[in-house]
Amino acid sequence: MSEIEQSGLVLEIQRMSTEDGPGLRTTVFLKGCPLRCTWCHNPESISPQPRLQWIGSNCILCGSCIDICPDGALVLAGEKIRIDWDQCMGCGECVEECPTNALEILGKRWTSGELVEELVKDAAFFEESGGGITVSGGEAMMQADFTKAVFRKLKSRGIHTTLDTCGMYRPEKMEAILPYVDLVLFDFKESDPQLHREYTGAERDIIFSNFRALMECKEKGAGPVNLWIRTPIIPDATARVENIREIARFIIDYQDQIDRWEICAFNNLCKDKYARLGQTWRFAESPLMKKDEMDRFVRTAVEEGFDSDKVLWTGMTAQERI
Amino acid sequence: METGIKEPKNLTPRVKWLRDYYFEGTDRKWNNENTSWTTGEDWDFQHNELTYYIVPETYPFLQTFRSSFSQTARKVELCENFREMSLPERIAWFNREVVVRYLPAEILPGDLIAGGRFNIQTSSCLSKKETRERDRRVYGKKGTRASMKWFHDHGYGNSGATSGHLIPGHKRLLKIGWKGVRQELDDFYGRLSEGEKKGRKGAQLRAMMTASTTAVDLAARYADLCGEMCRQEADPGRKRELEEMERILRKVPYNPPETFHEALQALWINHMLIMSDENYPGPGVSFGRLDQYLYPYWLKSESEGMDREYAKEILGCFWVHANTAYDALIKVGGNQGITAGYGQLLTLSGLGPDGEDKTNDLTYMILEVIDDLSPILEPKPNIRIHRNSPEKLMNIIVDMIMSSQGAPFLLNFDERSMAGMDEESKRGGIPELINRTNLAEYAPVGCLENTMVGNDRSGTVDNNLNLYKAVELVFGNGRDLFPYFDPMTGKYEKVRQDGPRTGDPLAFKAWDEFWGAYVKQTAYIVKKCVDLYEKSESLRADTAPTPYLSCLVQGCAEKGKDITEGGAEISFTTMEAVTYASTVDSLLAVKYLVFDKKVCTMAELIQALRDNWAGHEILQAKAKNKAPKFGVDDHDADRMGFDVMKIWTDEVWKHKTKSTGRQFRPGMLSWNYWVGDGFILPASPDGRPKGSFFSNAICPVTGMDVNGPTSNSNSVGKVLGGKTIVDGEEQYVNILPNGASHTISFNPSIFGTDDNREKFKAFLKGYARNGGTALQINMIDSETLKEAQKNPADYRHLLVRVTGYNAYFVSIGRELQDELIARLSHDKI
Repeated sequence: MSEIEQSGLVLEIQRMSTEDGPGLRTTVFLKGCPLRCTWCHNPESISPQPRLQWIGSNCILCGSCIDICPDGALVLAGEKIRIDWDQCMGCGECVEECPTNALEILGKRWTSGELVEELVKDAAFFEESGGGITVSGGEAMMQADFTKAVFRKLKSRGIHTTLDTCGMYRPEKMEAILPYVDLVLFDFKESDPQLHREYTGAERDIIFSNFRALMECKEKGAGPVNLWIRTPIIPDATARVENIREIARFIIDYQDQIDRWEICAFNNLCKDKYARLGQTWRFAESPLMKKDEMDRFVRTAVEEGFDSDKVLWTGMTAQERI
Repeated sequence: METGIKEPKNLTPRVKWLRDYYFEGTDRKWNNENTSWTTGEDWDFQHNELTYYIVPETYPFLQTFRSSFSQTARKVELCENFREMSLPERIAWFNREVVVRYLPAEILPGDLIAGGRFNIQTSSCLSKKETRERDRRVYGKKGTRASMKWFHDHGYGNSGATSGHLIPGHKRLLKIGWKGVRQELDDFYGRLSEGEKKGRKGAQLRAMMTASTTAVDLAARYADLCGEMCRQEADPGRKRELEEMERILRKVPYNPPETFHEALQALWINHMLIMSDENYPGPGVSFGRLDQYLYPYWLKSESEGMDREYAKEILGCFWVHANTAYDALIKVGGNQGITAGYGQLLTLSGLGPDGEDKTNDLTYMILEVIDDLSPILEPKPNIRIHRNSPEKLMNIIVDMIMSSQGAPFLLNFDERSMAGMDEESKRGGIPELINRTNLAEYAPVGCLENTMVGNDRSGTVDNNLNLYKAVELVFGNGRDLFPYFDPMTGKYEKVRQDGPRTGDPLAFKAWDEFWGAYVKQTAYIVKKCVDLYEKSESLRADTAPTPYLSCLVQGCAEKGKDITEGGAEISFTTMEAVTYASTVDSLLAVKYLVFDKKVCTMAELIQALRDNWAGHEILQAKAKNKAPKFGVDDHDADRMGFDVMKIWTDEVWKHKTKSTGRQFRPGMLSWNYWVGDGFILPASPDGRPKGSFFSNAICPVTGMDVNGPTSNSNSVGKVLGGKTIVDGEEQYVNILPNGASHTISFNPSIFGTDDNREKFKAFLKGYARNGGTALQINMIDSETLKEAQKNPADYRHLLVRVTGYNAYFVSIGRELQDELIARLSHDKI
């Protein structure tokens, strides 16, 4: 059986990741996301296209990029290189030329075969730790065929696979991938339909219905072996007791099928990513969550009947002043 | 988690007092400062500079050492026939005389181990004629000093016949006592022909017989002292202890010990006198597998009801004793630049001969003692782990790393290390001495240098060669790129044709030509190092025997040869490569810049190096950022890494010392040379300017391991040889028998949760499968992050991890960097 090898657009490969599933993992971040979360921590992953980026802290203003650009898309503006988006064709010649890696193309094309060869390099560490590969995003399901091809190859080599999804995808695509997935990390961000639309630009009900369909697969024995739910706690947005309560009420019926619910505290480490993309970020000045608040969310989930062994909060909280 | 300074804990008043007293340093009334001893003859001297040739910081003081020890030396009354004896006999007699009759004997309050002063500088015992001849070989135009200076000043590295750095046969000595040693020496001597008795062999054995009484007679002195102190002691508890100590000292080390206390007392005296014998405080005089050979004594005492806390106290006292090695130059505040400590290394845990784990109760108790006492420098622990190390041990290892600023021990990895010993057996042609039955008995020396035990001196730090020198010589067609500037004369030396003519690099049309030239220059620098070593090695063999140490190493008595003459059964010497990753990255950069991508011409590259990159910043940036690098698990780059490893190690195996027949073997430990020699060697094609550090040991160039710890480990394992399939079975390969020093820094967040601790343990098990022979784990602390703020280029690899988000520290904004620094100072990330 021959098939055309799938290729996909990869934003980043993160080795020895400890936070995206069990054990030590290599996490692949794919480009492109159907949601537009106002708090997005990886804004560079949203667009499904490769995109040029200038990293000021690396730049020595040598001008090599300006000279080489065939489309005249780069201009020196004071101490900065400005990218003229109307002119830039994303050819990458400036990236090749830039001596300090101050220009990079976000999004590199990999075939599934090449990618798998890169990903299996840490197989020994996966085996020792019960880890494996996580495909994340962006949204992994935006490149569902590629993700499937990668997972299929990984499974044939006995490697644990994890799919990290925001829940916005075509259900038949998910069904096709499931035979090759050991663990799904499923995001529930916001329970209120109107707020969901406001925060993410997408319909809550599609995600809810995808979740139900996934649960049905799982009941039939066709789903992933394991399932984790993740809820980002964002100040002045999802960080409401009410929100956790409603999500809990929705998922409580499936509790037996859920291995873990991670309530993830907001962090502001991506502030400068927005600056680099020339965008402003609504949450730039938002404070970190407090430990008490995170404890309260976990308590709420438990009050709603969620097994206290399964629900936990993760992430960085504000420092207590002693 | 707390990341404050680790404090000692759970110490009993006795051990706490001894530890606190030790750290009073120069305020102490008692110390173990060097004392110097002379025959009283006007030509006499004490200081043996050969042992300092591998310590470049001491070069300017070599003459001062010699004269100051001579000036302060106290006279020893010589026996009548002193001058009629052979040199080894004179030395054995003199050292014994000083130790047994002249050195003060003291026991500190509460101490349970006797044996205080051991830092001595004793007479060379040479005759006037021998001294003149020796000085000619040291100070002459082609003498050891000028030759080693030339080697160092021209950026090749350093070399010298160095003391210590071995694991003596403590296990055997405990088993048979000095009584047994003496019996053996008598037997060997008895078997000599009359002619042999009059010759060198006879002299050597007689010297060893004299030396073999030193420890016994010293113990008797301490026994008398204990008796005296006991009579004056009012406290009944202490009185009983002193009585027991007296009993022990009348028994051991002459007789074999039976109890735990007896064994530790015997071990201490036997060990400390090696440092006296060599006139050098503990340079890698290592203990080997302490938890294994002390275990029977511990079991016996435990079954007889020994209190566990008391056993820990005896060990605590032993630990404090080991630290007094540092008193040698206490008043000048120096440790002779030996910043990493003296390295009285002990080994814990590890595999047994049938692949079983050998961790025992004593292993855990020793780890407790280390944890309670640390921070403390000596003795330095090295824990041997392997793929099946027990959970309990792994948990303790992780706990201890967590509670310290970095691991208070080094981890040695058995499978890879044993593969290296196997390689040594094959390449060195000694299958009868190293084979499947005893591979697991290996142990590290000094820092992490793997050797066999009790019959092995492999000069583990004696030769330190900068691999990069060969690259420089390719650019210069066998000549240095720059003339050497002599700061003493203020003049430039003429550049000479030192290396072979490997062709004008400007005429090289393909990478293979450059590589071929590199291979030839490597052969030249290895040979140059071998020739230099011969000078100090042969001089040591002729003038500086160590008969006491020879008693402790199998082979010497059998051959009637001092250990300095190559008496040990396994008598090898080691060449350590320095600047490894910088050299690999430089070769990768030449290939990439000049041949593959044609970013510049060879002439432009050489000009940039001559200009120390000034005016060539763009080319330098490309060299740094665009050329492939070792340490990121890039198979092609690591292939170059392996090729470099293979050719230099193959060269090393071609050589033996002429005077002592010691086979050279390779290793990779850079001590601090990678820092200092960065100021001697010129700019390198990997983008490094002169004056910047080289890479350390087998670590990737600082800041270049941008794919994290797993990829860094994989690269290291690959260049050591990776693994091979033999009869369908996966086998480790390691072409560096002496081992390779590898350091990785971790963010404390990896230990933040129980989950993550499990992951860290799994990382270590993964390292056992894919990585190198030894790993030092450091924790990134707030100081590191502050450094990274100042010098971002050196910290490109520094990853900050927060749930759901990873970022390179240097790429995040200043404000957030400050936030993370503040957090790391008191809290978890």
